[in-house]
Amino acid sequence: MPTYSLVNYKMLAIALAKEEIFAKRGSMICYTGKINFTRSYLAGGGVQNLAMREVTNEELIVMRARGTGKICYGYDGKYVTIIPLRGEMLYIETDSVLAYDSRLQTGTIFQGNQGGVQGIIKGVASGQGLFTTTFSGSGEVAIISQGDAIALEVTQKEPIFVDPNAYLGHKGMLTTQFVTDVNWKTLIGQTSGESYQFKFTGQGTVYIQAYEREKKP
Amino acid sequence: MIYNYETLPDNDNLNNYSYCLNVVNQMIITKGKMIAYYGMLRFEAIGVNLLDLIVQESLNTPRYGNNFVVVTGQGKLVLGDRACEIASYDLEDAHLTVKASRVLAFSPSLICQESTLAGYLTFLGTGQLIASSNGPVVFLEAPAKVDPDAILGWADLPSPSYHYDYEYIKDVFSAVGSLAGLKKSGEERQLNFTGKGTILIQSSEQ
Repeated sequence: MPTYSLVNYKMLAIALAKEEIFAKRGSMICYTGKINFTRSYLAGGGVQNLAMREVTNEELIVMRARGTGKICYGYDGKYVTIIPLRGEMLYIETDSVLAYDSRLQTGTIFQGNQGGVQGIIKGVASGQGLFTTTFSGSGEVAIISQGDAIALEVTQKEPIFVDPNAYLGHKGMLTTQFVTDVNWKTLIGQTSGESYQFKFTGQGTVYIQAYEREKKP
Repeated sequence: MIYNYETLPDNDNLNNYSYCLNVVNQMIITKGKMIAYYGMLRFEAIGVNLLDLIVQESLNTPRYGNNFVVVTGQGKLVLGDRACEIASYDLEDAHLTVKASRVLAFSPSLICQESTLAGYLTFLGTGQLIASSNGPVVFLEAPAKVDPDAILGWADLPSPSYHYDYEYIKDVFSAVGSLAGLKKSGEERQLNFTGKGTILIQSSEQ
């Protein structure tokens, strides 16, 4: 079982014993031991998953590392967070995935499936595309963020509202709702600036970063 | 660490790059700096409604009025700004000027006015101000000369004037200079602070 640990807040170490791990291309910093690196086209998923990625342009370019030893990963000076999964499903922005291993099943999900038309608006408004990478099973996923990733709990009693541009991912049994606060003032250019929000209800955790992604033109 | 409504800090930094505000009455925030919130909060543009009674005293900035939103209700609001460091300033009977693009939020008890230096806002009175900076804020006692890009703001000081290096001025005046193009090092213009007071500087330019 690969073991994940943080060297510091921007660097991840993974110990391998005749195992394999998948990590974002270009994120390997150093390693000790005997490890081979190859480009992984399937990225731990199936052929269907690969086809889905090709079609959706939701590229998850990963390198597979296999062997025995210890590897250190870091990316672009971003903060690293290890998210433990215990049978839940994690939805995460593809760009934010740093490393994971084959204990988890990966997939690509069409956000539109989650909330119909609202899901589509969500993708357009957040500028993140309509597809998200999913992980399910038991194990760990390492993600990267600008500044520390902030984990916020959602309970039945306490829903949360999140800025789509700061959203990283979420796990657990959550329903996403796209909330708009559009009124007549929006039409005359007097917007509140927070017109589009994700509302999460249910039971789970939402991850955000203190950085607002610029919208794609 | 997974935060929830109870464990989120009360008017304190969540980490270096985000700040959690406990909204009880009203707060004025800069558009787009909300990254998440719990509770019942409403974001209202400053326009024609009853809310303006709250801010009419506070906002004295026709040029920047459109940058701000009034938050009303009860809840916990997390603010973030492009992964820049965030700090809160508790002002008491203050006279503080801050770069307008760095202001994240302030309480309506403060009076916000435009500084004579374009791109800066002056805050008068007592209340809370939240501002971001590129790198931690460094405090410097006046008199001093500061790079205009690195400045965050100044307190209890008269507005600064520009100071140019002599080499630059010589170039401007000489015919040779205008023919060959100005030799600019990027460091020839500084803000010159005189008097007694404190200057707030970012650890990095812009």
